[in-house]
Amino acid sequence: MADFIFWIIWALIVASAALVAFGNNLIHSVFALMGTFLGVAGIYIFLNADFLAVTQIVVYVGGILVLLVFGIMLTNKISSAQISQSSVQKWLGLIVVLGVLTIILTAVLPHDWVGSITPMAFNETVAGIGKLLFTEYLILFEIASVLLLGALIGAATLARKEL
Amino acid sequence: MNLNQIMTDLSYFIPEMMLTVILLMVIVFDLFQKAETSIRAGYLALGGLALVTLSLVGQDVSTPTGIFSNMLAVDGFGRYIKLVVTIGAMLVMWMSFNSNELKERRVGEYYVLILTLVLGMFFLASATHLLSIYIALEMVSIMSYLLSGYLKEQMRSNEASIKYVVFGAFSSGILLYGFSLLYGLTGSADIVEIQAALAAGTISPALMLLILVLVLVGFGYKIAAVPFHFWTPDVYEGAPAPITAFLSVAPKAAGFAIIIRFFNVAFSNAGNPNLEAWTALENMNWQAVIGVLSVLSMTVGNVVALQQTNIKRMLAYSSIAHAGYMLLGVVVADQTGIAAILYYAAIYMLMNLGAFFVAIHIKNAFDTEDIEDYQSLGYKAPVLGVLMAIFMFSLTGLPPTGGFVAKFYLFRALIEYGDQYFWLALIGLVNGVISLYYYMRVVKAMYFGKMELPGSVHNAPLNVTILLVILALPLLFGWMIGDPLSAYAQDAVQFFIK
Repeated sequence: MADFIFWIIWALIVASAALVAFGNNLIHSVFALMGTFLGVAGIYIFLNADFLAVTQIVVYVGGILVLLVFGIMLTNKISSAQISQSSVQKWLGLIVVLGVLTIILTAVLPHDWVGSITPMAFNETVAGIGKLLFTEYLILFEIASVLLLGALIGAATLARKEL
Repeated sequence: MNLNQIMTDLSYFIPEMMLTVILLMVIVFDLFQKAETSIRAGYLALGGLALVTLSLVGQDVSTPTGIFSNMLAVDGFGRYIKLVVTIGAMLVMWMSFNSNELKERRVGEYYVLILTLVLGMFFLASATHLLSIYIALEMVSIMSYLLSGYLKEQMRSNEASIKYVVFGAFSSGILLYGFSLLYGLTGSADIVEIQAALAAGTISPALMLLILVLVLVGFGYKIAAVPFHFWTPDVYEGAPAPITAFLSVAPKAAGFAIIIRFFNVAFSNAGNPNLEAWTALENMNWQAVIGVLSVLSMTVGNVVALQQTNIKRMLAYSSIAHAGYMLLGVVVADQTGIAAILYYAAIYMLMNLGAFFVAIHIKNAFDTEDIEDYQSLGYKAPVLGVLMAIFMFSLTGLPPTGGFVAKFYLFRALIEYGDQYFWLALIGLVNGVISLYYYMRVVKAMYFGKMELPGSVHNAPLNVTILLVILALPLLFGWMIGDPLSAYAQDAVQFFIK
């Protein structure tokens, strides 16, 4: 049963990713992206990463995706401009992708990844992550806050009217 | 890890904390300034950086320490890079006060962003954990994107910023892919533990090579090494000129810091780069790969620089070539090699900032960036001409300038390492000759050919002249007084290992 669900999720990710890449309508692509994001959240659940799965949905589906839709809606001259994408240089792209894929697969596949994994019972992770954020990873948490502050100030500077 | 441990670690963290407090103070201070007086925020930032420099100099790094669960290292190596970065930032701020591009606009945020960039480079210079490396790298990158787009009403500045973002995002993604493979294979994100797992030798060479390439893409983009350099000329041309000067030295030094720390610790055999007997990892020939990158960077940078007519673009390509020279030291990666890179980084900062600052002032005064327009500058503005000539001689690596000594140390490190890298030193020498042509073109324009003798002599404002002399003096006389920098660089080769 679990295997069956896993493959359904897998199919969802690949199919919607294909739709994103090959679809002609930008809005369709954005909505197809939702399938990919949700599918990845499903994979996280399979990995017992409950917090990560919920974050994935909140940040990507709830935030990024909505932002993308708004971005398209608020773009100027939306009525005149065609919201479409074309896959230029299809064949060149295909060759490059296949080349990169071959290189990565020949390097990654021979390694015994499964052997090094020990199956574990499910433990909820939220409390553990919270604790780690304020002990071991405290400094990264703080650095990230300065990073965000800087990014925010910079973004506001670039976006505001010069007075 | 408990609260007491955090409190102890904080005592090793004073320069960074000071920098953060100053950054916040500048933000608040700037809120109370009108656009015309916002330059005062810059004075505050410069004063703050001077204090940070003092606290860095006073920092005790005699015993390398890992702080905050070994996320960051406090050691001589990190401190040296931090000093280069802060001093570079101070010089750039000084020149920014004089830049016409930044006149008549709010500049408070400009200095806040520079301070944040400096903080990011502090973390990058001391990161010892994949997560801290990544966050520091992003901090440096994002602040660089924002600063290169600071002249937002200019198309070229926008173009610089957006190109930088696209390239940066792409290479960050590739770097993360490499990191995820590393973590998946070794089960740890700490570079010392990664080293132990890699040295066990259970991972196939193909997989090791893949990781090496992915990691190199991420780091190589930061130092603008060929073939990850495509963003460089456009960003350097479009960004505000003082930022271009800064981006060509400071993030490069910080990028080299993380390359050296990462490769020397994670990809070594013994796992102890402080030892004389340090050797590179056996089933991953990264020294050869870096050697190839180095040759490519030197050659492409120099050959393309030959064809440039815009001084900023020429310096952009020459900075790619200089990244190539510094990579020669990474190939060797032993004590002498690293000391040579550290020495080169400081000298390169002085001479490259100098060349950029003269170019900025020429743009202010004569409104041109074309090398042809430097015609007879040696007579129109004698002081500037002499200083520019010094920087050009030093960038070429001609004796008796600091640039020569720096190159000499790099080549000596290569030759002392053994016969197998002798060819690299030769290619480096040939490239030095190529670079002679385009650097000397500037000098030739200034002094030779058909000279028009002007009626009056142009002089830069006193504070600009002082700044340029400060940059030029160590290049001319540093080695005469026993080369204190070289001794300092050699002492600084001291890494933290658990």
